[in-house]
Amino acid sequence: MSSLDPTTDSGRPRSFWRSLDERADTPEFRQFVEREFPAWADEMLEPASRRRFLQLMGASMALAGMTACRWPAEPIVPFAHRPAGFVPGEPLHYATALELAGAAVGLLVTSYDGRPIKVEGNPDHAYGLGGTLAWHQAALLDLYDPDRSQHVAQREAGPASWDDFVAFARPHFDALRAVRGSRLAVLADASSSPSRADMRARFTAAFPDARWYEYEPLSRDNAREGARLAFGRPQRTHVALDRAETILSLDEDFLLHHPAAVRYARDFVLGRDPDGATFSRLWVVETSPSLTGSVADRRIAIPNRAIQAFATCVLAKLVHEAGADLPAALDGLGPVLDAARRHPMYGRVDADLVLDLAGKAGRTVVLAGPRLPAETHALVHALNATLGNVGRTVTYTAEPDPDRPSHAQAIRDLARDMGRNFVDTLVLVGGNPVYDAPADLGFGDLLARVKTSIRLGAYEDETSRVCTWHVPRAHIFESWGDARDFGGTVCLIQPLIEPLHGGRTDLDLLAQLLGEAPFAAYEIVRRTFARGAAEPDPRAWHEALRVGVVAGTAWPEAGPTIGTAGWSKRLRAALDAPAYPEPGSYELVFGPDASVIDGRFANNGWLQELADPLTKLTWDNAVIVAPATAAEMGVRHGDVVRVTRSGTSVELPVFVLPGQAPRTVGATLGYGRTRAGRVGSGAGFDVYPLRVGDDTAWADVRVEPTGRTYRLATTQDHFAIDTLGAQERAERAVTLVREVELEAWRHDPQHAMPGEHAVAPVELWKPHEYPDERWGMAIDLNACTGCGACVVACQAENNIPIVGKAEVARGREMHWIRIDRYFAGAPDAPEIVHQPVTCHHCENAPCEQVCPVGATVHDAEGLNVMVYNRCIGTRYCNNNCPYKVRRFNWFNNQKHQSDLEVMIYNPDVTVRSRGVMEKCTFCLQRIQSVRIQARNEQVRGENGRAAGRLIRDGEIVPACAQACPTRAIDFGDLNDPESRVHRKHASPRAYRMLAEFNVRPRTAYLARVRNRGGHPEGAA
Amino acid sequence: MQDHGKRPLIFPKWVDSLRPVVFGVASIVPVYALVLLYYGGSPRTTDVGYMPAQPVPYSHTVHAGDLGIDCRYCHTTVEDTAHAAVPPTQTCMNCHTGIHPESPQLVPVRESFSTGLPVRWVRVHDLPDYVYFDHSAHVSRGVGCVECHDRVDKMDTVVQAQPLSMGWCLDCHRNPDPHLRPLDEVTNMVWEPPGDRAELGARLRERYGIAPSEDCSTCHR
Repeated sequence: MSSLDPTTDSGRPRSFWRSLDERADTPEFRQFVEREFPAWADEMLEPASRRRFLQLMGASMALAGMTACRWPAEPIVPFAHRPAGFVPGEPLHYATALELAGAAVGLLVTSYDGRPIKVEGNPDHAYGLGGTLAWHQAALLDLYDPDRSQHVAQREAGPASWDDFVAFARPHFDALRAVRGSRLAVLADASSSPSRADMRARFTAAFPDARWYEYEPLSRDNAREGARLAFGRPQRTHVALDRAETILSLDEDFLLHHPAAVRYARDFVLGRDPDGATFSRLWVVETSPSLTGSVADRRIAIPNRAIQAFATCVLAKLVHEAGADLPAALDGLGPVLDAARRHPMYGRVDADLVLDLAGKAGRTVVLAGPRLPAETHALVHALNATLGNVGRTVTYTAEPDPDRPSHAQAIRDLARDMGRNFVDTLVLVGGNPVYDAPADLGFGDLLARVKTSIRLGAYEDETSRVCTWHVPRAHIFESWGDARDFGGTVCLIQPLIEPLHGGRTDLDLLAQLLGEAPFAAYEIVRRTFARGAAEPDPRAWHEALRVGVVAGTAWPEAGPTIGTAGWSKRLRAALDAPAYPEPGSYELVFGPDASVIDGRFANNGWLQELADPLTKLTWDNAVIVAPATAAEMGVRHGDVVRVTRSGTSVELPVFVLPGQAPRTVGATLGYGRTRAGRVGSGAGFDVYPLRVGDDTAWADVRVEPTGRTYRLATTQDHFAIDTLGAQERAERAVTLVREVELEAWRHDPQHAMPGEHAVAPVELWKPHEYPDERWGMAIDLNACTGCGACVVACQAENNIPIVGKAEVARGREMHWIRIDRYFAGAPDAPEIVHQPVTCHHCENAPCEQVCPVGATVHDAEGLNVMVYNRCIGTRYCNNNCPYKVRRFNWFNNQKHQSDLEVMIYNPDVTVRSRGVMEKCTFCLQRIQSVRIQARNEQVRGENGRAAGRLIRDGEIVPACAQACPTRAIDFGDLNDPESRVHRKHASPRAYRMLAEFNVRPRTAYLARVRNRGGHPEGAA
Repeated sequence: MQDHGKRPLIFPKWVDSLRPVVFGVASIVPVYALVLLYYGGSPRTTDVGYMPAQPVPYSHTVHAGDLGIDCRYCHTTVEDTAHAAVPPTQTCMNCHTGIHPESPQLVPVRESFSTGLPVRWVRVHDLPDYVYFDHSAHVSRGVGCVECHDRVDKMDTVVQAQPLSMGWCLDCHRNPDPHLRPLDEVTNMVWEPPGDRAELGARLRERYGIAPSEDCSTCHR
């Protein structure tokens, strides 16, 4: 019963903490939480700033007198011919798809009077199931980015037109066709589009001697090569996480950085139903803390180079100690497994892990991440085969385009050809190789020497700058196209809006270069869809456009046979390599960024301001260092260090994050762009210069302090729910985020939860009654992975401004929903909990009781509503809010926006001005729209025109709940005993945060369930 | 000011000389407030009587009054959606290809029809952007068009007849009975209640389940 007790062995409460500053209760942290508005003091203490304030006041008074004369006249501009099915002012939803990392996720985009304003997941798409990640939500902001390139450009002549380009391209490519395309090359970004594949085939047919290369800086080619080693042909691995009892993830962040992440997150959570029959245990072996690692039951942090040896030892232990039968085809691994016994990692393989894996044929899953070498992937196929998972929890499909060289090889080959002057004409479709190609290639210089280079890109970025022609690329929501999801199903991409700046798609450009008709993307997609027929079947075509996916196009399951030829020896040799870097150097692990990925979203303010799930860092990247390593290096959080790899140095700030493996440091790619645009240029630090040669996963580096410091804008201590001092905080935190151990839960759900302060409520006045609807929310911490999709979805839905790094550093970020990340346990092996916090709509709301002007009041359904026009900005409400979920508009954030930027606003939500408080409304606009609809039908039922009805459960979905890939958030009527939210509120796992204040929050959290097994504290 | 770090918010002595000015301003404030209140509620501010010229001299008197065309023939979306959409040019041309096909007053309509470019009408009933009025919610509860828009069938040029202020909205939300009518009379401009209006209204309120909300969240989001 020890795990039932919230106290640890030492008798102190198990403490949760948000940052090392908080844990140590440093002066910095205390200062931050003691000041409600931390920026207040600086601001008022600076005389210059006060003068500035008075100037601004004076100016706005003068303007106020002038603008109050007349209402502006507003035109009404109806259609000349209103399209069928279009109702002015009513949103329409169109199915399309967004491709990231070479696989698509189906989307439904809301279009309001022709303007796309919101992205949702397509529930009909098997790899999205209605969920999205933050990138899908934020892709919309790029559409209205004023920095997007707006015209064709020629390097010498400057701005040009598409006609100029055609006038150049037609004779140029006619001439190339005559010489079979010799000295012509194409460098394209990865694409799963069948139409692109078709155009590529036509291109190769027209220019047989031309070379076609494909490059992505963060590719999953190691997995392809690993499957080639194991099976003789590249295979794609699919896992059924909902059916697994044990999941061993080797450096694979399948909840975030995986082409099927949305689906896998859903499956993973489905397999962890505390009330269901199975509840999986997740083991994660990784180097840098990842989102997947943060939800692990057991996490082992070792250097990236040691993971392969670890995996070998797992297999060895399974075979030697747990009696697993190595399939005959894997006999070649025998000597390797014998040698593994003597490896230092052999002892690190936890006996619990072996127990969890052994004897559960078809009920476990082992995954390997894209950073790991091909041999590790082959070994993982061997592990899954030995564990009997193949065909049950692990299936394979054949990889498309099996013969293409790896991305790393392709860019190297192209650079070699360019260096030898073998390339006269280079067509670059997307990508940004000047920024993200391996630094030792000197790609920018090589590209500048190519006689004719044509770049199709959304921005005039680092690459376009050195090309002779730049053609603006249409945004995905302006494009016709198609793409395949991770399982091969084709998703159609249809435009929501005409290209705003005359952009072209990759299909348009290729069609032009081939001399086919321009504006061809639509015809090309239809041609591909028709599969050889002259015209697609109109009914099938329209159905596919409506649903967004083309049924029956998924790849068939393959049954590859495994072998060990060629890689078992390499595996054996790798065992002799050291598991740790040499003394004096550290292993730097490169990773994709949770916001900008590889740099492609660098100019996206929503993503820049979205706090990283682990570091809670905004607008920057940093070098991630564990506390012990930082002490060893003699550096502190925020110190700038020089990271050197064989002569190349990059300077970047240190972020001390518990959980990074010893002797290693981590850094994400995609920052430090020089020509990203107004938002992304200069944000963060470019670590691509350290990513040279073939070692794209990690590199041994030296780390030296520079003596300088850098201000990092991390939100980890923002809005800390503080009471009195560290001890009180530690005690209270146990009640803020609650966990229960699976065994205790199964033993006795009614008493498994840690106790809460029993407070007999004393009512100062008679509580209100809510006879009709009583809206409430339930957030399942067991389902929340902390990915941040809800934060961006809320920002898009509710017109929430971007405030910039300086304001974030002052604690002025405007997000209505934030995800608090708590660490628990020791700093060297912490456990992590993610907790989304938004307005709880307290029935006894403290904010309402202190507002001097009644600007925040309750409505008849108990929503705590914010009346912007009444608000005079005293901010008392925020001061009195125990959850710290109110946000103040310090500036007129939308004042200087262009006509293009304001197109993104949701017309159903008021845009707030300076001096006004705001906060989560439970998506009031969605409630009202459903309510009016339902009531209209109800009243008309009296007249016999339509059936009367009430609002159905699940009909109202707030933006955060709709975006969530794991359905962690439920919303509905607490008065309806059948509603999902009511059932969740009634669960024994449910608790109300700070209920002891008698604020009666409408939001309930469901405790996180840990399945640690043997270890009570999970530290391995 | 040198040692502002220690005594940050203390004003220098010469500020005392500003006291008379401050008191002077303070005595004006009540007067200012009264004037503000008076003008804030005056028709001049609320725009009652606003009658902008339209690009086409479309007459509701002729169409809705003399010809008796139902409001919903043109404002098709009024029963189902928030907006009572101004009709597309197509709707005008349904009749005007045959009736007055050469009328010079209809030149902008014919141009719009042939070019596909819209006619730019001027909005008369313009609520602030933070107000979310929904036509369907009112029309399908028995609130007649005439309640807010007055006798449009007698307007050659549409004019704003009611203040459309929040107080005016709330008057009806607090006491809807005198403004209700049977659903099939909603667009009838000349409907007269068969008996006592308030009594009929109370019955209709019961029947349609009308409980108008006075919450801020009803109209503001």
